[in-house]
Amino acid sequence: MNEPIIKVQNLKKYFPITKGFMIKKHVGDVKAVDDISFEVYRKETFALVGESGCGKTTAARTMLRLIDPTEGKIEILGQDISNYNRTQLLPFRRKMQIVFQNPIGSLNPRMTIGQILTEPLLFHKIVETKQEAYDKAIELLRMVGLKPYHMDRYPHQFSGGQKQRIAIARALSVDPEILFLDEPTSALDVSVQAQIINLFLKFQEELNLTYIFISHDLSLVRFISNKVAVMYLGRIVEIGDVDEVFENPVHPYTKALLSASPIPDPKIEKQRKRIILTGGVPSPIARPSGCFFHPRCPFKTEKCEKEYPKMYKISENHQVSCYLVEKEGV
Amino acid sequence: MEPILSVRNLSTWFYMEEGVVKAVNDVNFDLHENEVVGIVGETGSGKSVTVRSIMRLIHKPGKIVSGKIIYRGRGKEEDILSLPDDEMTKIRGKEISMVFQDPLTSLNPLYTIGDQLMETIIQHQNVDRKTAWEIGVEMLKKVQIPEAEKRMMAYPFEFSGGMRQRAVIAIALSCNPKVLIADEPTTALDVTIQAQILDLMRDLQKEFKTGMLFITHDLGVIASMADRIIVMYGGRQMEVASAEDIFYNPLHPYTHMLLRAIPRLDKKQDKLEAIPGQPPRMIEVPDVCPFAPRCPRRLDKCSKELPELAEMEPGHYVRCFNPVVESEKSEAITNE
Repeated sequence: MNEPIIKVQNLKKYFPITKGFMIKKHVGDVKAVDDISFEVYRKETFALVGESGCGKTTAARTMLRLIDPTEGKIEILGQDISNYNRTQLLPFRRKMQIVFQNPIGSLNPRMTIGQILTEPLLFHKIVETKQEAYDKAIELLRMVGLKPYHMDRYPHQFSGGQKQRIAIARALSVDPEILFLDEPTSALDVSVQAQIINLFLKFQEELNLTYIFISHDLSLVRFISNKVAVMYLGRIVEIGDVDEVFENPVHPYTKALLSASPIPDPKIEKQRKRIILTGGVPSPIARPSGCFFHPRCPFKTEKCEKEYPKMYKISENHQVSCYLVEKEGV
Repeated sequence: MEPILSVRNLSTWFYMEEGVVKAVNDVNFDLHENEVVGIVGETGSGKSVTVRSIMRLIHKPGKIVSGKIIYRGRGKEEDILSLPDDEMTKIRGKEISMVFQDPLTSLNPLYTIGDQLMETIIQHQNVDRKTAWEIGVEMLKKVQIPEAEKRMMAYPFEFSGGMRQRAVIAIALSCNPKVLIADEPTTALDVTIQAQILDLMRDLQKEFKTGMLFITHDLGVIASMADRIIVMYGGRQMEVASAEDIFYNPLHPYTHMLLRAIPRLDKKQDKLEAIPGQPPRMIEVPDVCPFAPRCPRRLDKCSKELPELAEMEPGHYVRCFNPVVESEKSEAITNE
């Protein structure tokens, strides 16, 4: 087996909570990402799923080194970049690009599409001259299904789906190997979502891209990804091959998430047994003792309240952090 | 039985500087007691403007240019659009109430949940504060908010998103309305919370026998909620049928394609069939089929005339010159 392209080990990101005006006292932490580990191989699509506040976006931003990790290792293409400084990171910025959820916020309204697309090319010295940059930008526009005459337009002249195409073209302009997709279609209509998703699949095939796909839409995750990690309050509760996890979920939270995701089929919807969880996600500042999920868990035992369960291996490609595995011996 | 609410030839236009935005055109439907009618459509399809017109919440530059909205809940036929303002105030919140998408903006941050609940109750039910308080507590219990008495005194910011939406539902149902309009009530919520709220709405709708208009862009949500579905596109109804017919026997090319463009949780799919092109711009559109530019089944006349919303099968209405026929559907299934 080849080497993983991304290797994350015991990654933690804590945001300090301070009190006081002049003298700031450190009174606690928001443990946004708390000890997550996983590996991603080339040309895979690895999905991070979970509800708002589970730490999926923070995990991705830390891996991109847009924010600094508190602890842990981030290995990209064999190098641990977790302590690299700005200059050392520069070549990795080229390798890793991100497409954000909101294309309106991620494109500068005062720059034309041409400027948006040529800037990274010139900055990373991928091309020598402005003319070459211009030519490459036109090629990028063609790749994402836009036309050369769009070069002189401004972002506000495009629809949401077209803006997202531009954001993708910009991300691809520096020939990255890894693309982080942070809810790239949740601002788009369903009919346009399918266009963008198909575009991602096409580029993965043609350019050998590796995707980190962040989403709360499990149907979409099932469609696009190979592997999935389900996060809850900063930790991974279940991780594995997407078909295995979705067809045989073990963690009660994964089960609840899957049963809560609507299926566009009225007969199935009427017959489905739903696990309706009580309450909401607890605050990440005051997480419950033991397993973080136990206050909402229909199968909780005494042990769950005391100690956080370790990761149990169910099969080669499926791990879960839940005591149920011990009890039932899945 | 007579429907509780009938919308006839409703058109709502917005007079902008750039031109006229024909947001809703010639919409017709009925809502019966104890029935859930779903309206699905993408951004700009006119679904929200339709229900806001029913509540008469259209402000300048918008204008309801034509149509009738017949309400039969008060023992007689009344056209909501020709009622005087003070009569309309008696209908809003009492006879027809509405749950909006974002509970943080539909609640007033300066008043407690109890105040806001009691305001509606006192306004419409002619009771004193003490009784209103009791009804309020009862409603919060109905929507499964724990420690209801204590929660009456809480402010909206003290509630989580799901709890806020429960409170909004409590307010909406507090006067036992005959029609409840829910405009994307779970879009701002996480999926486990969405499941809770949908479950609650289903139960309460059955208990109160409310006629419900449920608006969403999520075909999964609509499949679990609606008895009948209206599919809207470009400000017009494209297909109206029972939920089963919309999902298993779609006749309009748009519905047909939309269903194949969404990923499914319960199936392994090889590809999504995207609908090419962009949703229409709504300014100064001619009266032709709005889906024609994106439609693979387009005929010459599609971009010249507007097809009628015709009853192709009993109870199944389609606005299309060239609907999807049976043989092609079975072919599509064997391809899968």
